[in-house]
Amino acid sequence: MRKLEEVLQDWEAVIGLEIHAELTTLDTKMFCGCKLEFGAEPNTHTCPVCLGMPGALPVPNRAAIESIVLAGLATNCDIEKHSMFYRKTYMYPDMSKNYQTTQGPVAFCMRGHLDLDVDGAAAKERIDLEGLEVGESRGNVTRTADGYTAHVGITRIHMEEDAGKMVHIGGGEGRIAGATHSLVDYNRAGTPLTELVTEPDLRTPEEARLFMQKLRQVYLALGISDCSMEEGSMRCDGNVSLRRRGAKEFGVKTELKNMNSFKNLHDGLAYEICRQAEVLEEGGQIFQETRHWDPSKKRTIVMRVKETADDYRLFPDPDLAPYVLTDEWIDSVRAKLPELPDQKAARFEDVFGLSAYDARHLVEHRETADFFEVCMELAGGDAAKLAKPVANLVINDVTAYLNAADGVALADTSLTPARALELVRLQAEDAISSKQAKEVFAAVLDEDKDPAAIVEERGMKQVSDTGAIEAVIDAVLAANPDKVAQYQGGKTGLIGFFVGQCMKEMRGQGNPKLINELLVKKLG
Amino acid sequence: MAAATERVFACMGVRDIQIGLAAREFSAREVAEASLARVHALDGATHAYLETTEQLAFKAAARVDAAVAADDLTACGPLAGVPVAFKDNMNLEGAHTTCSSAMLANYVSPFTATCVARTLEAGGIPLGKLNMDEFAFGSSTETSAFGPTRNPWDLARVPGGSSGGSAAAVAAGLATVTLGSDTGGSIRQPGSFCGTVALKPTYGVVSRYGVVAFGSSLDQVGPFTRSVEDAAYALNAIAGRDALDCTSQAVDTDFTANLADGVRGMRIGVVPAFMEAKGLTPEVKAKVEEAAEHLRALGADIVEVELPNAQAAMSAYYVLGPCEAFSNLARFDSVRYGYCDPGHKDLGSQYEASRAKGFGPEACRRIMLGSYLLSAGVYDRYYYPAQQVRTLITQDYASAYEQVDCILAPVAPRTSFAFGEVSDPTDMYLSDMFTISINIAGNGGMSMPVGLGAETQLPVGVQLISPQFKDENMLRVAAALETVYGPAPVAPAFAPGQPYPEGSMVDIPDAADAVPGVDLPGLLTAEGSFGVAHQASSAAQRGLSERLGNAEAAPSQVEKAGE
Repeated sequence: MRKLEEVLQDWEAVIGLEIHAELTTLDTKMFCGCKLEFGAEPNTHTCPVCLGMPGALPVPNRAAIESIVLAGLATNCDIEKHSMFYRKTYMYPDMSKNYQTTQGPVAFCMRGHLDLDVDGAAAKERIDLEGLEVGESRGNVTRTADGYTAHVGITRIHMEEDAGKMVHIGGGEGRIAGATHSLVDYNRAGTPLTELVTEPDLRTPEEARLFMQKLRQVYLALGISDCSMEEGSMRCDGNVSLRRRGAKEFGVKTELKNMNSFKNLHDGLAYEICRQAEVLEEGGQIFQETRHWDPSKKRTIVMRVKETADDYRLFPDPDLAPYVLTDEWIDSVRAKLPELPDQKAARFEDVFGLSAYDARHLVEHRETADFFEVCMELAGGDAAKLAKPVANLVINDVTAYLNAADGVALADTSLTPARALELVRLQAEDAISSKQAKEVFAAVLDEDKDPAAIVEERGMKQVSDTGAIEAVIDAVLAANPDKVAQYQGGKTGLIGFFVGQCMKEMRGQGNPKLINELLVKKLG
Repeated sequence: MAAATERVFACMGVRDIQIGLAAREFSAREVAEASLARVHALDGATHAYLETTEQLAFKAAARVDAAVAADDLTACGPLAGVPVAFKDNMNLEGAHTTCSSAMLANYVSPFTATCVARTLEAGGIPLGKLNMDEFAFGSSTETSAFGPTRNPWDLARVPGGSSGGSAAAVAAGLATVTLGSDTGGSIRQPGSFCGTVALKPTYGVVSRYGVVAFGSSLDQVGPFTRSVEDAAYALNAIAGRDALDCTSQAVDTDFTANLADGVRGMRIGVVPAFMEAKGLTPEVKAKVEEAAEHLRALGADIVEVELPNAQAAMSAYYVLGPCEAFSNLARFDSVRYGYCDPGHKDLGSQYEASRAKGFGPEACRRIMLGSYLLSAGVYDRYYYPAQQVRTLITQDYASAYEQVDCILAPVAPRTSFAFGEVSDPTDMYLSDMFTISINIAGNGGMSMPVGLGAETQLPVGVQLISPQFKDENMLRVAAALETVYGPAPVAPAFAPGQPYPEGSMVDIPDAADAVPGVDLPGLLTAEGSFGVAHQASSAAQRGLSERLGNAEAAPSQVEKAGE
């Protein structure tokens, strides 16, 4: 198979996502009073309603409707004042009523969008932007200084309920094939679930990954879900098809499942694009089918072939009255909108004078954005001056550390905002060099000590005492009279030699800038 | 044959029972014991009961007797000490809820329906659960998996349906108040056939929570009684908003308040198209005209009103009803509860066999119909127009009520028919030709007994139809008719003092045999509790073992998988 970069030279990938998010921060399920809790003993959070016992009736969770309207407002959707719940029929033991309560043609949230800022390496997958000037647009894309912005349409966000969980016993790896029996846990049944469907506006696996990341940031900011891809509270399916560069017609799409991390989402789509290209280039045909991404084998495999559309016998749920949302109510929800990541980034640029790039990457994670903000509060009058070095520390060192220490929360490390600020100040005040700062940063995390204490302990404090430096300079000049003569004869390049000698004398702790200044003065 | 007890409580009205209790002429315990004894002695003839609930009856009686001892009978509520029973599609924790289906032959309710809980909270003494057409699909109670109920007025005839057991129990004096449910006429038509007051309130007046759904947008629970006053007491007990049913509405009407007001000055509508309808028998037509004359004589204005779209109600109903039924019955899949056909190696064949054997022919017919009507391409041609028809019919009624306060109409086109007499399903569906449009529109309707038909000498009811959420209007008209016709009598063969009919003594299973130690549910104990569904095997007792191949239906969270 060819590489993605090569494939994308010839083919345009058309990608749409379906993103499910459980409203895990609510107390109770969508249509009954059962508690929402991940990982409880099987079938302990169940009742007649979520077990589909005869005669039980659903009552919608008002807080869930509020949450999805928040999600819609935060993703620029129109909030539909008139919508209702439908029944979607399918017989399977994880769906206790054998129909899923979901929404019909009109969802609570319709016609939204998110704008993706794509930069750095991520922007490289997009090969069709050559010749585009900064600020110029083509299709849904606008060129920016460090990449491009993609305007991605959101078809809808609708409300539904999650199914229970099936565990298959006796087969390989818990799969149904070869299983002797299956168990059902209905704790998850009836969990409030939102489904967001994008327009087929995404063109690269990076864009898909960034969209998912950005939506996750928005949902986390709204506080409507814990968005754990690992525990399945946020799940993503991708639809992908290829067409020749320049073609207008869509190709046949496949649906990709099991992309339960950002990496899997990217790699699964990338594989599928390359696989489809190979099939098409060999004269083969793509079938409309559902495929499963296997991260360990790094390939997608067929789950089932869709020969005809499923007939879900969708019809309005007569147990649930149609919704009529008033402007007043929608406004009251709007008033609860917190600052969203894009707004936060704009504020960081505005208040702290950060670059768009720095601001965007700071807000990628709520914890880093919050960390930065606390640092700025502690910095007081120096905030504007220290913003850039603090942002650098957070975006580069902190993010790298967290990425390496898989799954560790910043709050659980020994790096507090106060320590980070202290470290940045030490460097800004020339007390330590940038190289020493890296060492101190690592030591803070390893030894749980304040940066000043580490500097003290290791005796790595940068010497900026003029007297001490002058004494060393005098000794160095006295020991090298021939070099002094050459310098004074016009060979000013020797300044590096003198600085080096002084630093050597001071075991690397002299302030190089100061040494340089004093040397020039003495030699001049 | 032993004579009936001297005082036959289950043949008495609500007020007389409460006067006797307050005067300490008898205790609620005696009411419970004597009523249960009468059910066990007489029900073999009519087969209204599927199960008695002795323990629950005694516990409820003890609560009433404690209130009497404290000189505070009213604390119990409007049905204190009244023998009551419930259609078997209403959940009562600890008792079976079978819907008269082999599918649920062994199903024991893990919770209690709101209408049942409210009846018990009001002081009713629960005697047991009542026979019905399977899942309420039918108009004769012949589709019950446990054998038909017989009409107490003529044991060779049907009691109507689907709430045939509820109507027969009241007509035979085997309860003072029973609850039934009405989706297209299932309260009113058996009320007419058995000669009882039978009331379907406006959709939303009574909570549907815990009533096994047939057509969710059509179903409504209501009482059977022998007097209008008793119906009003019962409705007072069960009506009102329930947080567990979001289609239920707040109701603050006292339905007994205007019963004595008479009909002077009321405008009562008659629908000419109904009176000229093909199939309406002369004796029923004559009774409706007679009732209209009486009401005119009592001072009402009789006004002709048109319901131009009502003739389309039947068509709309047989689209909407089966669609909702198909969906509501999807949950009976043999996995968590209900009949599970044994020995299957894959899920699909277990589903198919369990449903094919668990559901009777009429249930299968409606499921197939609904499945077809909701399928892609068909839905737009049937379901959507049916909803449009529904809007038109609702508007018809609304504009009719700009002219009148209540509408008078036939209930059923004829009096009770003999077993097997109506075998074609579409002929059976015509039993509901005058009742269905009221479910479509959502209005309240009731059957008021007006004596016997001139030709068949069987009970005839007339239908009174109220504006939405004005159910007190039809009760007021019914009370005026009652001053002419008198309260509904117990069917002659079951009247107190009569020798018991042949074959009447049978052993009715009791819930306690299946589930020992059940306690009063819901509102009567501290909190309604929910546990795992109890399982009992009275299938053999119910004559089902042969049909189901002796299979034990077990609640199962395990399903067979594999390919």
